[in-house]
Amino acid sequence: MADKADLLRITEYLDLDLGREQWHCNRCGRALGPARENYKKGCLIYDRDPREIHPAIVEGQYSFSPDPLWVRIVEFYCPGCGTQMETEYLPPGHPLTWDIEIDIDALKQRVSNGEFVIKNQRIESTQ
Amino acid sequence: MAIPTLAEKLEWLKPAPATEFELECAKNIRPGEYEIGVQITNDILDEAMEIFVRSSRSYFGVSGDSMVAIFTAQGDLINGSCGTYLHAIIQPIILKFILKYYKENPGIRDGDIFYTNDALYGGIHNPDQVAIMPVFHEQELIAWATAALHTTETGAIEPGGMPVTAKSRFEEGMNLPPIKIGENFKLRNDFLEFYSVYGLRAPAMFISDLRARCTTADRVRVRLLEQMEKRGVEFVVGLMRKMLDVAEAGAFQKVKSLPDGTFRSVVFNDAIGWRPSLVRACFLTLTKRGERLTFDFTGTSPENPSSYNVHTQAVVGHLANFMYEYFFHDLPICSSTFAPIDFIFPPGILLNPDKLAATSCCVYIGMQTRCATHNCFAKMMFCSAHSWSQVASAPGSQHTAQICSGHSQWNLAVSDVLSFSLNTQGQGGRATNDGMDAYGFAWCAFGRAPDCEQVESELPLTITLSQHWRDSSGPGKNRGGSGAVQQWMIHKVPALLSLCMGNGSKVPLGQPLFGGYASAPIPGISVKKADLKQRMEQGDPLLTLDHRSIFENRDIKGDWKFELIARTPDMYAEGDLLFGFSGGGPGYGDPLERASETIVEDLKKNIISEWTARNIYRVALNSERSKVDLAKTEELRASERQARLGRGQRYDDFMQEWSKKSPPKEILEWYGSWPDAKPLAPIFRP
Repeated sequence: MADKADLLRITEYLDLDLGREQWHCNRCGRALGPARENYKKGCLIYDRDPREIHPAIVEGQYSFSPDPLWVRIVEFYCPGCGTQMETEYLPPGHPLTWDIEIDIDALKQRVSNGEFVIKNQRIESTQ
Repeated sequence: MAIPTLAEKLEWLKPAPATEFELECAKNIRPGEYEIGVQITNDILDEAMEIFVRSSRSYFGVSGDSMVAIFTAQGDLINGSCGTYLHAIIQPIILKFILKYYKENPGIRDGDIFYTNDALYGGIHNPDQVAIMPVFHEQELIAWATAALHTTETGAIEPGGMPVTAKSRFEEGMNLPPIKIGENFKLRNDFLEFYSVYGLRAPAMFISDLRARCTTADRVRVRLLEQMEKRGVEFVVGLMRKMLDVAEAGAFQKVKSLPDGTFRSVVFNDAIGWRPSLVRACFLTLTKRGERLTFDFTGTSPENPSSYNVHTQAVVGHLANFMYEYFFHDLPICSSTFAPIDFIFPPGILLNPDKLAATSCCVYIGMQTRCATHNCFAKMMFCSAHSWSQVASAPGSQHTAQICSGHSQWNLAVSDVLSFSLNTQGQGGRATNDGMDAYGFAWCAFGRAPDCEQVESELPLTITLSQHWRDSSGPGKNRGGSGAVQQWMIHKVPALLSLCMGNGSKVPLGQPLFGGYASAPIPGISVKKADLKQRMEQGDPLLTLDHRSIFENRDIKGDWKFELIARTPDMYAEGDLLFGFSGGGPGYGDPLERASETIVEDLKKNIISEWTARNIYRVALNSERSKVDLAKTEELRASERQARLGRGQRYDDFMQEWSKKSPPKEILEWYGSWPDAKPLAPIFRP
């Protein structure tokens, strides 16, 4: 597990080890793959019928429940601890979103030249 | 014709270069004078907004869905009272159009009143109308004042100003390019006559709102002149320049403090007009490099032959709602704050449609651009020590926009929206807390739900329940704010015409954040021949007015109908019922991390159901639902985490099955090619 002091918190559940260029789970520290790639590739993924989360209140086509032919809930779990790190509401088969593509080189440079300092897993601008 | 091009619009969003006179005046603003000057502009605008709310007649006006603003002589916004931030960044387009094309003919003179509602020229959609007054001091143009407000009538093919069946702009009623409607501080009678006939469905509201805009803009003009007399023209000019410069520097600094990178979000919409249809409402690629941001909407679905298209600057207006509520919350409302921001709008997407396109219901697509922006910024801001606490899911953006048209109990012609279900949407779950319940209007954070008794006194309705809509809040570690529900009974008139705009009956709108879930979809619900009125008259002791019980058990008898939320006009008789919903906010974080005691509170407040507590949050409740068994709850949650590890697939395995799937072809007619949403055929518009 990476030392917390080296980690930058990118989301509630996603840490970036800037030195090693690796994604990690914030809750259990599990490595999730190279930081220059989509962290979702390191997650376990589940195709959820949205009616299980938003159940119908009445019968029929318009029931307060999503139509599972129109939309699915794609759930991304940490393979180490099972934390639900992210969800996407997508039509069935729609490409998963590469939502976070940090410019690692630019970030390293701004840390090394003192423009950014990392404190408590967050960046502070010195300018 | 001089309809602004996309290039002109994008150029006019940026502040004009300072003149030598402006720079000289700004240099002479002394420390302390600047802060006092800023506050003076705030006071002027707040006074004008108070006048605006009190003198406008439509429910959008009463709710405060409006903006009053001050601009430099060159047309850049330096401060606004909101209301809604929708117009804040984009009104310079209108002013710069007037400055470029109208200086010689018809001329810009002291006492002129200009007016426009045409989105081709820089507005949101044609219900949003703005009055514009130049501010002259001794024959010199020093500033501009504007007052913008949504009026729910345009003389379109349907009442209410947002026709769901419009296929082109020619079916949307009045579309006024910027036009001079008054001279020498007087409205022209020929214009008033021309204008009035577009408002025949609701003349009192239509004309009152027009006059309210003009009165408000003039009050700003008068107060600015007082300051010029008291402190000198140089002070006012210098103050405005300095406000632009300070805001711009702050915006660049804020943008620079974020990590560079590319952030993406995709959101969908489940209707175009009154027809169920899936579109990729926004595919946003947000790129941050140094001190600049670029919003690229490539990949969004093609334009379509409904009123659910958005002209480009109206997209920017929607983004401004996010920027000023969250990322720029500590900066002044000033158009220079968007100086670091660039936009890419490919031609032919539904966020950059043809000039002939209908756009009166653009807000239902535009709001999806705000939702995508929330998600991209959340992922860019969370690592910033300065900005992370402003991270939040998008607000609930689905709602019942029910229009009532006909004659009131006072035999007055009316055409207005029931705005309770607009102004009680739930805020999205936040990094630091839950979203606020019924926080406001996703398009206007300061919008207020109108007083029930005022609505009942003006419209032929009785409001028989107003409640939080149980289970509308998107579940999460920090749940979304709850939406609300209201029940409307037609009362004291034989019949009323009603239609509804909206979306989100099939697909939850927006995207939650960091493992949360979205809010539930909303159907359109009506009950004709309802027995409620009769039972209320009889004092029926068995009558229940809990919304969930009414839906689940049909406690009220009648001809129930559940359908798509967007509905074409229909007649409803006295005693018939309509239901209006405001969407809850999407959740933030894994629901299994939600604190147990807050779940008990949510149950007590009827924000969530016992089913949600047990099946989404996985808590063990005692039989009275008043306490959580913490040890048992931890067991349930550990078991669910194990279940996730069992059912979750590795990426490659998941993609092998997932990529073979697709939605039914019949719902993709207006989506574009699957899945990349490229145009498949030209659009025909009548």
